Amino acid sequence: MDNRGARRNNKLSSVRCQPGASVGYRLHTVICLVLFSSFSAMAQHTGYKPIENPNDFKKQFAAESERVHTITSNFTQEKVLTALTEKITSSGQFWFSRSNKIRLEYKKPFSYVMIMNDGKLLVRDDQKETRINVNSNKLFQQVNRIIVDCVQGTILTSKDFTTRVFENEKTYLLEMTPASKTLKDFFLTIVLVVERADYSVTSIRMNEPTGDYTIMTFREKKLNVPVPDAVFTF
Amino acid sequence: MRFLLFSTLVLLASCASSYKALKPIPVDQACVLKRMPVGLATSWFDASVDVMENHISGLLLIKRMPDEAMRLVFTNEAGITYFDFAFDPSGRFKVHYAIKQLNRKAVIRTLQTDFELLLGIPFRQGNLQAWRMGNEVFYGVQQKKKIAYFITTPDCASLHRLEWASKRKRLVTAVVAGNSTSTPDSVQIQHHTFNMHIRLTKLEKE
Repeated sequence: MDNRGARRNNKLSSVRCQPGASVGYRLHTVICLVLFSSFSAMAQHTGYKPIENPNDFKKQFAAESERVHTITSNFTQEKVLTALTEKITSSGQFWFSRSNKIRLEYKKPFSYVMIMNDGKLLVRDDQKETRINVNSNKLFQQVNRIIVDCVQGTILTSKDFTTRVFENEKTYLLEMTPASKTLKDFFLTIVLVVERADYSVTSIRMNEPTGDYTIMTFREKKLNVPVPDAVFTF
Repeated sequence: MRFLLFSTLVLLASCASSYKALKPIPVDQACVLKRMPVGLATSWFDASVDVMENHISGLLLIKRMPDEAMRLVFTNEAGITYFDFAFDPSGRFKVHYAIKQLNRKAVIRTLQTDFELLLGIPFRQGNLQAWRMGNEVFYGVQQKKKIAYFITTPDCASLHRLEWASKRKRLVTAVVAGNSTSTPDSVQIQHHTFNMHIRLTKLEKE
């Protein structure tokens, strides 16, 4: 193991696991963390300047988020392995309904569905379907809290991240730095780009400590259109 | 008495060697050149691992580096990296990164040997021997207490599977499906001494 790996593993080994939780269960937690922490909101960011009045933005972001009852959107995701100069692109659909119903479905080039509804989580891939009670695990509770903060527009007051806000003519940029060690193990920062027009999320970039990153870009967003309950049923 | 007899038979059957019927034959060098696994071309796979009662899925990148080293990066569907392994050109293994939940000696060692087999690393050292059993030809190489086999049809028309074995027992089987062994459509790795199964299906990039 190289120095970087050794340092990283020493760091990882100091994190305590949830007692009694299985490897698969904990990995599902990680997946959720990655996927859902994203739905709440780059160093200095090219073309952006720090926002002049963060408090006004905070209030406006919360107020606008309050008006959103449903979201449907297509998305494209790019995972970039910087050192290996490799990337893979996937795409799918995203649905949200207040309160706290989320469906994220990857359709190409693989099939993968994650649904969160009423404190329960379903994960379905080509091989298996897994159901998890979110409340049974502290990390899941943290994930749930992050989702709520994001959807309600209160991520800026969240204890899970410290957030800096930047702006340009068309968008706001929220640079979220994890506060807890658990989150820091997975993310250096999470960067959300939010439309000025309706405060909806345009893209999410998850920067990993290794330098790799994943960017999700949302297209054909529709706010407050009817979304059948069946979308979130499992 | 009947139970005792049955138990004895079961015990004997379980002790019977999977490789008892192997008959030594000369090594067919032409077949070795044609069918011996020599690693995979760079590909992305839809991957899942079932181990005991746990199920993990994600994407596996197998990348052949310009210096012939191999890198294996497994991420979840959302992009977070589970592990990043490397085999250098001489086959030496290195962990660049492993997520805390997978960063256990036994887990890493198991994955290492599985991928060594898939990439044909044990066969690089030479000293291959050949055996015939039934309608298959086994090409094997001793590695400490284990033997790595690649198994072909007698006419060398196709590669049936790869195996790790102890002296008597089959330990791991890897079945590589598709027209080319360097760019397989799918791979199935099955452990026989405990419940673990890895499935890889080649992804067509968008």
